[in-house]
Amino acid sequence: MTVTAGADRGDVIDRERVEAVEREPVVIVRYNLFERVLHWVVAITFVALMLSGMALAYPRLAWLSGLFGGGQTMRAAHPWIGVAFTVGIVLMLLIWARGMMLDATDRSWFRRLRSYARTGHAGLDNGRWNGGQKVYFWLSLVFGIVLLLSGIPLWFPSVAGDGVREWSRLIHHAAYLVMVGGFIIHVLLSVFLFPGTLAGMTNGQVTRGWAAWHHPRWYRETSHSQPERPEPPAAEPTEPAEPTP
Amino acid sequence: MSTELGLAIRRKSASPSSGTNIRRESVEVSKLVDIDLCIGCKACEIACKEWNDLEPDETFNFGSYQSHEDLTASTWDLMRFKEVDLDNGDLAWLIRKDSCLHCDEPGCLLACPAPGAVVQYENGIVDFDQTKCIGCQYCVTGCPFDIPRFDRKTKKVYKCTMCVDRVAGGLEPACVKACPTGSIRFGSRQEMLAYGEAKVEKLHRRGFDDAVLYDPSGVNGLHMTYVVPRGDMLGDYGLPDDPDVRANLSFIGKLRGLRGIGAVATWAGLIGAGLYWLRVGRKAPPPEAEAVAEAERLGQPGPEDEGPEDLEPEEAER
Repeated sequence: MTVTAGADRGDVIDRERVEAVEREPVVIVRYNLFERVLHWVVAITFVALMLSGMALAYPRLAWLSGLFGGGQTMRAAHPWIGVAFTVGIVLMLLIWARGMMLDATDRSWFRRLRSYARTGHAGLDNGRWNGGQKVYFWLSLVFGIVLLLSGIPLWFPSVAGDGVREWSRLIHHAAYLVMVGGFIIHVLLSVFLFPGTLAGMTNGQVTRGWAAWHHPRWYRETSHSQPERPEPPAAEPTEPAEPTP
Repeated sequence: MSTELGLAIRRKSASPSSGTNIRRESVEVSKLVDIDLCIGCKACEIACKEWNDLEPDETFNFGSYQSHEDLTASTWDLMRFKEVDLDNGDLAWLIRKDSCLHCDEPGCLLACPAPGAVVQYENGIVDFDQTKCIGCQYCVTGCPFDIPRFDRKTKKVYKCTMCVDRVAGGLEPACVKACPTGSIRFGSRQEMLAYGEAKVEKLHRRGFDDAVLYDPSGVNGLHMTYVVPRGDMLGDYGLPDDPDVRANLSFIGKLRGLRGIGAVATWAGLIGAGLYWLRVGRKAPPPEAEAVAEAERLGQPGPEDEGPEDLEPEEAER
């Protein structure tokens, strides 16, 4: 930052600016642009599918069809939005599948689910994602496919026939409920519960403290390739305390 | 085709508690097609087209007396012809006026997810309100008689309305008005059933031992019944032996149950999430130095490690 005003005044401003920058936390790139665009395409199509699905399944919520320009437009759009959603989750599978494989740490995470729910921290050496996130990913993928497959007879009811359509409707509805459950927890945790999490999906960055606290192994793996402040606080190898939650 | 027309409504599709009837007594109307009297003149087809102002579909010869092969979105009434060789060497020429049978328990109404798109009036007429139709075509498969037809241009489904606009004004349906032999009759359901039963007995006396009044209980009876002289040949007439919407009813029961569970679970999830959030609040990480120290400590191999370290360097796709 160059200041063209008086030299002494500029000097003062510059120093303040430098100090302010130094107070700013070091950030780590959590999701790149492609990942974020993909996530929001999936998120927006999911919400559109959820709302139009509610309008179709619950007569008392039929007024939600107004959001989509009326029932007929909504009925025509819903399957195509579903196709876009499915493409999105399949792309997610392609770019994230490797990191989403469950490992021993995730099994421990599930054993500590109760204390995680109480304290918001499992004290485990999570990689880029913890066990819960991985399960939500696989659950969305599997039930997304179930929703697509059970949606086809509803898309073309005349081809499917009566019995197939009715069973598909029940399966579609049940799978939708699972997805909504996962969605509520996902939003609760990422938007409301953990400060700094949403930023990872908006500007793509999280603070070093956030990364080290929630995803320690991922932090160690990535922090070396990230811009760092000159003197990171030395980690004293203290006695290996039980990582109590 | 219509909206309410001042008639009392028994129920509407996907609309709980949609009955409106407060009248002292409501007469259930019915048509009856006495196939014995039908001469296959197709006047009913024309009357239907004229009253409802429907575009004629192109006709062509496909080896039958029928004007068209099938019902369409703009052909709600069709005379079906079929020639059948009988065992004794005779020929049976079967003719049936095919149009909506206005079931008392309509499969189309049960299948429809659009509130108010299928209306059943207190008098028994089942009508579609295309202003509410979303074009999903569930009714097409829900109908045990294969009546509703989807129109590609308007993306809506159409069928016979039993000329509800005429009936509401005290007139008989157009097909009844046009029928030159009195084969298509119109009146209260009791009158029609009484006529039908008497006619069936008459047919029995005349030697049509299998004559039946077609009023299947699987759809809780019809508001267009048939007197069928050859009741052993329902399939040849194109009538299902045992149309049944009980399976559809049990499906609707299951769907309602699932909806109930869904509504409770969704509200419980939202309220639970809200309460949880109010209870635990926001969970900020500790100061950066502390978090980083913890991360480095977790990286040290030790007896407390949770399972083997995944040593492959995770490429974080950036």
